[in-house]
Amino acid sequence: MLTINNLHKRFGKVTAVADVSLEVKKGETVVLMGPSGCGKSTTIRTINRLVEPDGGRIVFAGRDITAIAPEEMRTVRKRIGFVFQQFNLISRLTAEENVMLGLVMDGMPRELASDKAVAALAKVGLDNCRGQKPGELSGGQQQRVGIARALAFEPELMLWDEPTASLDPILVREVLVVMEELAKYRANTMVVVTHELPFALHVADRIVLMDKGRVVEEGVPDKVFVTPASEVGQRYKELIEYQMNTSALTLAGKRVA
Amino acid sequence: MTFAKNILRDSFQRDILILVIVSVLVGSMLASVVSLGANTYFSKTLASFVGDYGEFDLIINVREEMKTDAAQQIDKIISDVFPGAVLKEGPTLTGKTSFFITLPEQYQTKQVYEDLGKTFGSIPGGAGVGVMTDPRLTIRGVPEGAKNMLMERIMQMDGVRFAFRDGGSIGVVLLSLDKSAPVEKQINALLKQYQVIEISFPVGSEPSNPIRLGEAIAGDIRQDLKVQYAQNVSVDGKNDDMTYAVSTMMEMRRFLTAYASQVTLTPLAGAKLAKGDTLVFQGTAPAAPVAGSPPDKSNILVQVTGIKSNGAAEGMVVQGDAGGLVNPQGYKLEKNLVGAAVAAASYKNPRQELAGALNETSKLVGQIPGFAQDASSMSGIAISALDNYDSGIAAVEQTLSGVQSAGATIQAATSGLANIDTSSLRAQLDTSSKGLGGLINTLKVLKLVQPEAGSSIDSLAGTQSSLASLSSTLGALDNVAANARQATAAIDSVVSGSRNTLATLKAFDAAGAKNSLRDMTGRLDKVQEINVPLVTAQLQYMAASAPNLKDEDISHTLAIIDKFIAGQVIPGERIQILTTSSVDADAVAPIVARQAGHGNASLYSTAMGIIEPDARGQLYQVLHEVKAILAGITAMVATILFLVFDHTAVMAVIRRRRLANRAKLSGWRAVLARFAALSAAERVYGMACGAVMLTAMFIISGGGIPYLPWIGVPLLGASLGLLVAGYAEKISPVAADEIMAGEALGLSFDEVMREIVIPAARPGLLQKLNNRKVKFR
Repeated sequence: MLTINNLHKRFGKVTAVADVSLEVKKGETVVLMGPSGCGKSTTIRTINRLVEPDGGRIVFAGRDITAIAPEEMRTVRKRIGFVFQQFNLISRLTAEENVMLGLVMDGMPRELASDKAVAALAKVGLDNCRGQKPGELSGGQQQRVGIARALAFEPELMLWDEPTASLDPILVREVLVVMEELAKYRANTMVVVTHELPFALHVADRIVLMDKGRVVEEGVPDKVFVTPASEVGQRYKELIEYQMNTSALTLAGKRVA
Repeated sequence: MTFAKNILRDSFQRDILILVIVSVLVGSMLASVVSLGANTYFSKTLASFVGDYGEFDLIINVREEMKTDAAQQIDKIISDVFPGAVLKEGPTLTGKTSFFITLPEQYQTKQVYEDLGKTFGSIPGGAGVGVMTDPRLTIRGVPEGAKNMLMERIMQMDGVRFAFRDGGSIGVVLLSLDKSAPVEKQINALLKQYQVIEISFPVGSEPSNPIRLGEAIAGDIRQDLKVQYAQNVSVDGKNDDMTYAVSTMMEMRRFLTAYASQVTLTPLAGAKLAKGDTLVFQGTAPAAPVAGSPPDKSNILVQVTGIKSNGAAEGMVVQGDAGGLVNPQGYKLEKNLVGAAVAAASYKNPRQELAGALNETSKLVGQIPGFAQDASSMSGIAISALDNYDSGIAAVEQTLSGVQSAGATIQAATSGLANIDTSSLRAQLDTSSKGLGGLINTLKVLKLVQPEAGSSIDSLAGTQSSLASLSSTLGALDNVAANARQATAAIDSVVSGSRNTLATLKAFDAAGAKNSLRDMTGRLDKVQEINVPLVTAQLQYMAASAPNLKDEDISHTLAIIDKFIAGQVIPGERIQILTTSSVDADAVAPIVARQAGHGNASLYSTAMGIIEPDARGQLYQVLHEVKAILAGITAMVATILFLVFDHTAVMAVIRRRRLANRAKLSGWRAVLARFAALSAAERVYGMACGAVMLTAMFIISGGGIPYLPWIGVPLLGASLGLLVAGYAEKISPVAADEIMAGEALGLSFDEVMREIVIPAARPGLLQKLNNRKVKFR
């Protein structure tokens, strides 16, 4: 489905992504993890060329999309759903209009687009919020609208750029539930950038660890987090252990108490 | 190419183009409305004072308190003189009420305008009539004498209706306002062709008659400097009667001065005279002036008018007459009191001399007929004599030959006498005579005793007398010989001299002399025909009409004339010569010195005249400029507003896109990048929009900013665009995440702008225009 070879991206003298290669198979959920500033978001944004790569190849559905014209890239983007960390909803439009926007601009009749939008909103449990504007929704709802907007095109690939990072921890769950649903039960092909360890452990088919713009380790979650080969992996392992211990103690203590 | 294609298709670039066009139209309309509104307001305000441009032709100011009477009189005048003219009462300012008159076109003429003073001279409270006809130019500073020439030249110019004398200036009424600039240019060119050379004379060196001196100088400039045009324009030689009056009075002054008695004052030992001193003389008073007393009316007062180099003074009689200067002793008048004796006077009275000369001439004229007759007779005689001239010459020749032969005869006759011994004969005769004398004496004694001896004495005395006579004859005979020789020599000399004389006489043109004499006779005959009685009578009339003035009359008259001349505008010490610009004033100086008789004059060149700014026109020009400035300022404000409300969002998006792939810089790289950012896409866009909008609005609305050339307008617009571009994101912050969402959804730039950026941007013209295109309102 998606093959990334030797991807490079620099911002001036700063190397954001260096020689990143990645393979994502159809229906696979790949989670990109790493410390902040390691190049995860840049990598995921170069996939649909929201950020233009400086070098390397990105092959999507058998086609090198780094070599195609911007006009053609617009068509490709309609096949790739993107969920932003900040939701990126059009504030002046309602939830339904936000979801309809891409469809209508793609030439779909307004009524059909509306049906599709409603359906997409229903998928994320927001069919009753279609007439509300983003400002009237909670963060979790806004992100779900964002997810519905990405799903409306029925994309072949979903890209998630830290979808829960801007959410109140209490609201994170409702988003993760949707993501898990999409990954496990609808078999969407997904590349997810997240710091949510439980989600990664539970949903990811493969974990890719990045550090300083490079892929330092990749593999199934059990391998990466149990027997890490990289320093980053080791830190994640320690974090998991710590979280498991503190959670158990806390919960046990409260229960005991 | 791509841009052109994008413009043609339904693109956001076309939206921007339409926006710019609509912005320009709206901005221009706004600028025009604002400027027109202000202009209308100011024009109406101005028109309420002085009427609209070209609405009125004349303005008459009268004193406020007389305006009712003045209005009636003006109405009457225009009804009589300018039927069809319209009178309108204007505002009253500072106690003066203005009346405006619109004249029918047929009365807008040179003659009418030049006679306005006369036409409206009878208005009560009239404070002046002025011409307001527009469009009009006014030329001031033109010398009086040059006005006619200048007006004639101006009248020939295209676009000029007529020119007229407007007080001290020349008014030029034009056919239309658009002719103002070209006519002004032509007049300026004409004025530059000429110059006025002003000749100033210092006090004491003023010419007696500047008019004649000016004409003489102008004539010499033409002749000496080979200049086609040089004219004395000190005064108007054609139209100004006063000029002639003054000129005549100057001549009268010169005439009177010439016939005033010339008094010569010789200072007494130790005394000194100064110009302006007054001396008192006895005159017809019974006694000499007394020191310390005021002068009497019968005294003669003489004022010193000049001091000669030898110390003597010249004076003029200011009281009495020089004829009364019997006692030559003069006393100085000090503080109106007689002072010490300071001078002795002598005088010359030109009036008496003139009268005497006329009388003598009169007598001479009486002799002319007799003289002519005598001369004619003598001429006749001379002609007769000349008729015999040739025969006379021949006779003289013949006589000379006779004389010569007589000389030869005398020579021959006297040669015999040379051999006679007359001396011994005369001695013998003297001895005999003496013997007879003794005998006679004896007989006289005898006669005392013998009276009959008396007859013998008489007889002897007769004989003695005969002997003495003979002896004398012999002596004469001796002299004859000597004289005959002298006579012969004299005859030879006479003959020789006469022959030379004869040759001269033969060379004389007797015929020519006769012709001359005949001509002379003819003229003499005509002289005889002269009406001698008439001439005599006229001479006697002239003698009788010679100034029969006392010296004091003359001096008083001169004072009056001086007072009159001094009050006139005729320059007493300044002459103006109008000539071509090519003449160098330095080249005129020698001519002036020659004609004036001294080199004390100052020369300088001035312009023939200057075009006076038309206050009314200037006011309207200022209004026009205010209108343009308002339009310009409004256009600037509109440009800023359009840039701020419509273009900042676009600039912000362009900037975001530019910076999307750029890392943050610091230090000198950041400074360098700041300079490089001047050519950044959003700034170029801002500058282009600003320049295009402002320039177009300026052109359409007629905007203008003082001291800003046309090339500066696009630069100003670009500067505004650059300024706004610098603050674009602060003015119109764009939601980058929304844009990115749009891009992620596969929206094109046009769609992102129309659906996401513009609807969320500041409300403006672009947003209004965008409503037609947006799918999600």
